[in-house]
Amino acid sequence: MQTLRRGLLAGLLAGLVLAMLNVVTDGTPGRLLPEALHWFGITIANPTISRFAGFFLLIVLGGVFGLIFGALQREKSITINRALLWGLAFGFAWWLVFSLLLANIMSHHALFSLDFGRFLSTFPIDLLFGMVLGAIYFQLQQLRAVAALQV
Amino acid sequence: MSISASARDRKRVATTGAKESGAATTPITLSERSMTGLALIRIFVGYLWFQQLFWKMPPGFRGLYPYIIRESQHTIIPGYGALLQHTFLVGCSSLSTPAGCTAFVPLAACVWTAELLVTISLMFGLFTRLGAILATILSLQLYVGLAYAPGEWIWTYGMLVLLALALVAVPAGRRLGADQWLAPRLQAAGQHHRIARIASWLV
Repeated sequence: MQTLRRGLLAGLLAGLVLAMLNVVTDGTPGRLLPEALHWFGITIANPTISRFAGFFLLIVLGGVFGLIFGALQREKSITINRALLWGLAFGFAWWLVFSLLLANIMSHHALFSLDFGRFLSTFPIDLLFGMVLGAIYFQLQQLRAVAALQV
Repeated sequence: MSISASARDRKRVATTGAKESGAATTPITLSERSMTGLALIRIFVGYLWFQQLFWKMPPGFRGLYPYIIRESQHTIIPGYGALLQHTFLVGCSSLSTPAGCTAFVPLAACVWTAELLVTISLMFGLFTRLGAILATILSLQLYVGLAYAPGEWIWTYGMLVLLALALVAVPAGRRLGADQWLAPRLQAAGQHHRIARIASWLV
């Protein structure tokens, strides 16, 4: 249960970082956020609501990924290299599922079609999400260990 | 009596001075919150560099060309414009497109790659100080070339330099970054290998 809770919190925070990165894009703030809705075929006409919905969807999806991350740790404590590697793997999975497959399906493109520009604009950011997820999970684990020692 | 009192005063002054100098040199330990905050700043500065890759994409790097022209015209260092004319802009016949330029593409590729390395280093916290040093050099070059160009606010590039320097000063990659894993390993290996010791300065 501890790892699930820790994973959820880490995922929500990593999702928040990802959403904030999407807010500070070039051009209009948050113009990329509705893409998250588009992965699930949701279109909202009002651009402001669409951006807010995209923002919160990214955080929720981060939480879901965090829960899975926590569940896979099976109540064991993990080392920093394991946390970062798992995190990077989760970032890759995020990129594969959302930025590649779902984005292509919803845009009616071939499943694995990808150009260099789109790869560059999505892959590093999605990997970063995963690494931040793993790193926050590790930090939360360490904080709990320190708190347990102090009691 | 007066001599002893003045000796006592001197001693007190000396003790106070020692205390003050001791307080001034006491190492400062950053809290977890501060380190995490710095890590987030590092990620966002990395993202700043990341976004600048997209308006000068390979293979042509066309977006960079007007800026090189502006740098050659408005630089604050004498001779820097001539340097650009004889490197980036050699053979160029147009002010708007890099047509005829012989060295523009390879040199622009170097700039783009350097910015990509800064991006990877700062966003992922991988050899963060090395990435920050590279960012400082790139920012200084922008400051020298563009800070006084018409329509530019001089502090735009000044702030870019200062942001990069701040990330050279603090080990911002040791939270939410690969340096958290790398730093202790390099420090341990640095006791036996000189290269690892040098590499440990860059995390």
